Amino acid sequence: MKRGLLPLWLMTALIVALGAYTAVHQSAFLSKENLNSLLLEAMPLVIVSLGQAMALLVGGFDVSVAALMTMCVVTASFTLTPTSSGIALVPGALALVGVGVATGLFNALLIRVLRLPSIVATLGTLSVLQGASLLLRGYPQGAINTDVTNALTSGVGFVPLAFIGVVVLAALADGWLYRTRAGLALRAVGLDETSSRRLGMSTGRTIVLAFVVCSVMASIGGFYLAAEVQVGSPIIGNQALESIAAAVLGGASLAGGRGSFFGTLLAAFFLTEIDNVLPLFQQPTEYADMTIGALILLALLLYQSPELIAWFRSARRRIDPVKVPAT
Amino acid sequence: MTSDVLSVRGLSKAFGAVQALREVSVDCHAGEIHALVGENGSGKSTLLGIASGFLAPDEGTVEIGARRLLHHSPAAARRLGLGIAYQDYSHVLGLSVAENVYLAVPADARPAYGRMQSWAEETLAAFNLDIAVTAVTGSLSLAERQLLEVAKALLTRPQVLLLDEPTTALGPDAVERLHTLVLEQARAGVGIVYVSHRLPEVLAVADRVTVLRDGVGQGTFEAASVSEDALVALMIGRPLKVAFPERRVLPEQAEVMLAVSGLRGERFGPIDLVVRKGEILGIAGAEGNGQVPFLRALAGVERAIGNASCGGAKLDMRSPVGPLRAGVVLLSGDRRDEALFPVLSVRANATIQILRRLARVGIVLRGRERRAMAELVERLRVRMASTEQPVQSLSGGNQQKVSLVSSFLRGDVKVILAEEPTQGVDVGARFDIYEALRAKAEEGIAAVVKSSDPLELSGLCDRVVVMSRGRIVEEIPRHELGERRIVEAIVGSRPGVTAAVGEGEGAPA
Repeated sequence: MKRGLLPLWLMTALIVALGAYTAVHQSAFLSKENLNSLLLEAMPLVIVSLGQAMALLVGGFDVSVAALMTMCVVTASFTLTPTSSGIALVPGALALVGVGVATGLFNALLIRVLRLPSIVATLGTLSVLQGASLLLRGYPQGAINTDVTNALTSGVGFVPLAFIGVVVLAALADGWLYRTRAGLALRAVGLDETSSRRLGMSTGRTIVLAFVVCSVMASIGGFYLAAEVQVGSPIIGNQALESIAAAVLGGASLAGGRGSFFGTLLAAFFLTEIDNVLPLFQQPTEYADMTIGALILLALLLYQSPELIAWFRSARRRIDPVKVPAT
Repeated sequence: MTSDVLSVRGLSKAFGAVQALREVSVDCHAGEIHALVGENGSGKSTLLGIASGFLAPDEGTVEIGARRLLHHSPAAARRLGLGIAYQDYSHVLGLSVAENVYLAVPADARPAYGRMQSWAEETLAAFNLDIAVTAVTGSLSLAERQLLEVAKALLTRPQVLLLDEPTTALGPDAVERLHTLVLEQARAGVGIVYVSHRLPEVLAVADRVTVLRDGVGQGTFEAASVSEDALVALMIGRPLKVAFPERRVLPEQAEVMLAVSGLRGERFGPIDLVVRKGEILGIAGAEGNGQVPFLRALAGVERAIGNASCGGAKLDMRSPVGPLRAGVVLLSGDRRDEALFPVLSVRANATIQILRRLARVGIVLRGRERRAMAELVERLRVRMASTEQPVQSLSGGNQQKVSLVSSFLRGDVKVILAEEPTQGVDVGARFDIYEALRAKAEEGIAAVVKSSDPLELSGLCDRVVVMSRGRIVEEIPRHELGERRIVEAIVGSRPGVTAAVGEGEGAPA
């Protein structure tokens, strides 16, 4: 368990360190306005990363999430128009979730029925969705209902309500993953699908569920992306790799079966923090990409350190005579 | 008439062009131990796979407890009362033992999630299994995994229990304990289908025997009324003449090829040992007494300290490269993961270590490649449709032959370290493998064979050492070799045998 907590501590330390350093040099960082916008900025990535963590837990990837989020923004520009209000907005909102469910099922179909590797399947979905978005909105147009965006971004003080919501959600999801039967089953399927099937689990259903959850989370992330841009932009979503990065930095294993939703949330927040901080120092945002890349490598190295250390020790240690118990 | 707890009728199943099963029917009564024997590739595993719902048959029906299995899934078969211990296990290695045990029982029999640990402890204690439930399953020895697999199958409280090669990793006393358990279950009315390639072992407990050959049933017999020889003849379709190649007397002072002094690793040692040119040395012992780590250390796969030399030159065992360069080749018992590249062709596997020799300006010449391997493939009688066939589509015996071809082709082999060279290998192919090792020894190499089959060691080897608790406790010279002698050495070499089933290497702290 201690090892599973390393990503959480590391991410917390990085968030605090970067925040503290920035606060010392740029007083604007700790202003309520900036903190509020930082938290709101983080929402799309945090939400989609939680979904991505599901895909990684069952041993897959979903690179179509960014295109799906874009598709949701474009959809919103048709279904959540400024002219409608109140209860009339509900079907429009459901349309976005519907797009998510449909995409998730489509991905699951490619992966489970056609047996495509998830990365290939979702790459195909990505292209389809990207094309569809551009077909629907050739350029950014179609304003999105401000009632909706205001509701999404409302908060207490500088903290958006939705942010509190995802923090609670991530914590609950970790409890589910490590403290319940269903969570154990999900991890088992991610670690070893054949054995899980032999043990009588419905592995297919689990994997379909994971990819549908991933896509639904992406579509919810799409709401927050829509709230951010407020217009039907066909080229807005770019969270595919960042969401995988967040899940990995948060402790997810690329081989499946291991991960933490709360760690993912912290990592997604940290990645957003880097993006937020660089302009304050008048640094080009390209540095963000490089930093993130370096961090992922560093994190993977660090998370695997128990094995590395054990290996190093066994190479050096004086081997004790014999520790074989009787058979 | 007793009731059938399992009844399969007219099962046929093809994998691509290979007809794995052809109209096979088998039934198992309540309280019966029904042995299913046959060579590798005879369809035993396919039959179990279908009976357990893991595979869907092309034709035929499965009835468990007189209820027909309609939906072909392991979960459905389990609900009808079928438990199965898979040959290659159903453990999720990344999870703890407790978590695996928890997942193995039907949902309604599981305790609250929080009680899992103590519940798993009690459960395993009921099976006399001394395994730490908090250990990661991947850290268990193969013997422990195998016993855990059987325990897991029993946890579903099945009416019919399928055991697929449940003793491959077990030493003699663990086998006996397993058999006690199996007999207990049979007395309690469970029908047991027992698949094994170890005939004497399975015949010791079976009531009836069904023989499969090339996917076709060869008949069902009362175990008491059929001889081992007759069964073997049915399995292979010809009477088995000699089981082992002839041994020549070694020259009195043959040159020392492999010398080990004071070698010790985490789970064995210190070990001193000498193997001479032309000699096949056997390593016996109950499973988990350091035999495998010792061989792996010699091959540079596991860490160890101490000295070893090959042909007089000191062996650099810090990595597998040193021993390989010196001509020390390990035939890993884990063919799929270590000895072979399962998806590559027979040709690619055979020549992968000598490509440099087969290439001109960096391009491998297919013709040379084929010529290089043709003779050996022929001599070892590798049975296959084509050399371009993926190795994973071959039977276990033929896979093992391919890994032998690959080692022999190197040309510079001085020492062969073979770990369970005939595990999962059918009777006919076994002899080919023994013969290949013997022929190679006569060419002047030294071989060390670790096997859990005393009969094999006594027939194949020039000398056998017995390991216990990581050390050599007895050496049996050629003129004393015999199955009984080895078994006695294994049993006798462990004072105060009170250990529970499967107390192997123990779980790491």
